[in-house]
Amino acid sequence: MKRILLAALLMGTGLSATVASAQEWPSKPIKLVVPYAPGGYTDAVGRITARFLEKELSQTVIVENRAGGGGIVGSDLVSKSPGDGYTLCVCSVGAISIAPVAQTTSYDPLKSFKPISVVSTIPQTVIVNPSLPINSMEDLVKYAKANPGKLTYGSSGAGGLMYFSVALFDARVGTKMTHVPFKGGSPATAAVVSGEVNLSFTNMTDALPQIEANTVRALAVTSASRSEFLPKVATVAETVSPGYAVESWNGIMAPASTPDAIVTKISAALKKMAADPEVKKNMAVAGASTVFTTPAEYTAQIGKEVDQWRTLLKEISDKKT
Amino acid sequence: MIDVFAALGHGFSVAATPLNLVFCLLGAVCGTLIGVLPGLGPVATISLLLPATYALDPIGAIIMLAGIYYGAQYGGSTTAILVNIPGESTSVVTAIDGYKMAQQGRAGEALAIAAIGSFLAGCFGTVVIALLGPPLALMTQKFASPDYFSLMILGLVSAVVLANGSPFRAVSMIFLGLLLGMVGMDINTGEARMTFGLIELSDGINFVALVMGLFGVAEVISNLENKFTRIVNHSKINSIWPSLKVLRGAWGAITRGTLIGTLFGILPGGGATIASFSSYALEKRVSKTPERFGNGAIEGVAGPESANNAAAQTSFVPLLTMGIPTSATMALLVGALTLHGIAPGPTIISRQPDLFWGLIASMFIGNAMLVIINLPLIGLWVRLLNVPYRILYLVIAVVCAIGVYSVNNSSFDIYMTVGFTALGYILRKLDAEPAPLLMGFVLGPMVEENFRRSLITSHGDPMVFLQRPISLVLLLLSAVLLISIVMPSISRRRQEVFQE
Repeated sequence: MKRILLAALLMGTGLSATVASAQEWPSKPIKLVVPYAPGGYTDAVGRITARFLEKELSQTVIVENRAGGGGIVGSDLVSKSPGDGYTLCVCSVGAISIAPVAQTTSYDPLKSFKPISVVSTIPQTVIVNPSLPINSMEDLVKYAKANPGKLTYGSSGAGGLMYFSVALFDARVGTKMTHVPFKGGSPATAAVVSGEVNLSFTNMTDALPQIEANTVRALAVTSASRSEFLPKVATVAETVSPGYAVESWNGIMAPASTPDAIVTKISAALKKMAADPEVKKNMAVAGASTVFTTPAEYTAQIGKEVDQWRTLLKEISDKKT
Repeated sequence: MIDVFAALGHGFSVAATPLNLVFCLLGAVCGTLIGVLPGLGPVATISLLLPATYALDPIGAIIMLAGIYYGAQYGGSTTAILVNIPGESTSVVTAIDGYKMAQQGRAGEALAIAAIGSFLAGCFGTVVIALLGPPLALMTQKFASPDYFSLMILGLVSAVVLANGSPFRAVSMIFLGLLLGMVGMDINTGEARMTFGLIELSDGINFVALVMGLFGVAEVISNLENKFTRIVNHSKINSIWPSLKVLRGAWGAITRGTLIGTLFGILPGGGATIASFSSYALEKRVSKTPERFGNGAIEGVAGPESANNAAAQTSFVPLLTMGIPTSATMALLVGALTLHGIAPGPTIISRQPDLFWGLIASMFIGNAMLVIINLPLIGLWVRLLNVPYRILYLVIAVVCAIGVYSVNNSSFDIYMTVGFTALGYILRKLDAEPAPLLMGFVLGPMVEENFRRSLITSHGDPMVFLQRPISLVLLLLSAVLLISIVMPSISRRRQEVFQE
């Protein structure tokens, strides 16, 4: 009897401890893991988010960069961290929606995490070297079909979104372009400027300054709707490939075991952040749009993206055999 | 031209405000410090300080962060010369002759020449950015993958020259370096190579862990083994100031190092490390008495130290004129600018003249500050040799560990350092020098990447390497250098001809 009582008591205190910890959260500094090197686009988003959350939650928020494996190392670390709301991830599309499909990761994008909210999105821009006689997406498709394999595109490497978005484009419109991988998005963009490669699907951050300086020609954006940064530039979907939508996003995710009470609190803070004019302004400098989604919407979006890339990879491997 | 001076004058009015002078000084002091501490590099430091700069005005912030970067190149030579442990990867070759000089009681002389060379090279590099920045950036646009490939081949061949022992050992070390450089994800296919399933290895072996293991901790361990070799005869420490004769001997090396560094700094991917290696190889090659190298030749310190500082300055060219970062540090500065609401791009000079010219002016001021900070410190550093080694080695080992950890916040990198320490120790026992290994490690991945990219863009035609004039010239140079190494009789006969 004594034992049972003791057990009940222990269970009770254990239970109340978790409840209390959710109520008191945050009572100590929060670690925001950025799975990329400092200085990059995700790092900027992470630091803007940390700065806002720090004010909003009146608690220190530490940004910790854990770069490696295209975001896999840091994401993996968060998926294995205790779900107490003190370790969060500034996750991104590459490590969450693409890597688990294209290679093997020790985490499952939906089972190992609790997605909280997408905080920013950034479309890619189809840019070509201005010396090419290609002025529109229609020109691009025509040229590519007339010269199969001759057009070259730069990417950030075989596992990255810059490669997958062109692979998806090729599969949808029936073109064949030659893949030229670089170590990162920035040298790939530089190669379009110098003319070493003909084109690339480059994220807005890298593309915008070059477009403004007329060192590259922008043909389209890859998001479902036009970008606020280039309102005159059409989307890929409205020109040559209806339904085509690729967008890079960064979102806050927590380990799967995180209590819902804490997730709700973070979600509320992120909702306020999406409406904050200063955050919007700072995100815009990085070429990103400030976004808020509910945990359910975010989860659904990841599911949809995983399906899209899985189908594409199957199409590609079917063609090879 | 007058425009440039007017703009530079304006730049000085921006950089010389009391507050910006303080930021410049802070950057220089901080840079010197992390340069001296082995393993701790500008990348980790700048990313740590990034949040602290939010409150600052963007120009002040960037002046300080840039100061940390080029300041680190000044400090890196200090531990390389005094205790044979390079503070930065750019100072690896400085240790070869610098440490020998220290053992001969010429530490002050070596440190002074390193500081003077760095100052002159830094100022020259800054003049180049101010006068020729935009046209030079256009020139680098002419460099495509085949040209980079041939440049890297030239680098690999000159790595053989680095070694003092047998060319056979040097070549083996280069190949070992190439092999280590292969580890990680193949960017063409996305396949992991030689990672043993370890996700930590998917981006390749951490460069700092390799350098600190092979050069830092391995040095400590081999010193512990032998009590007598390391200890410098303190009574022999000469005056700190180099004599006119020494200065005259170093002058040519400083000039050549500066030119090499200026050139390599501008090229993406080249950077300060390759510049310092190439400068050392060149000095040994042009010297009438190459046998002095490895035994305390002042040119072996003057050349590489000038080269890495010139490269540190001119590596700002692609960033400031095209908005393209060419190294991890430059990418970090892009991040810093972005967080301050400035998107770096080709239009930065016309849109942000205050920032561009203010930064350039601050580089002159910063270099002057660095030489003023560093010259008086030499006396202090030399006295550091009096600290008992049993205390010193602990400090070195701890700082190395902190430095390695700070790169990725990863304890795995510390284990890797331990592994490379063992390798470094074995290599020492085999009398195999690790410097060529490092060159292979740095250049290998770039050789592969550019080779494969060249063939993809040429649609499989290998003639592309011979058809491009830049590439052809570089390959011919490599061939000539290779022949002169492989056939010692030729080079001997050549030397005789030169002496006549």
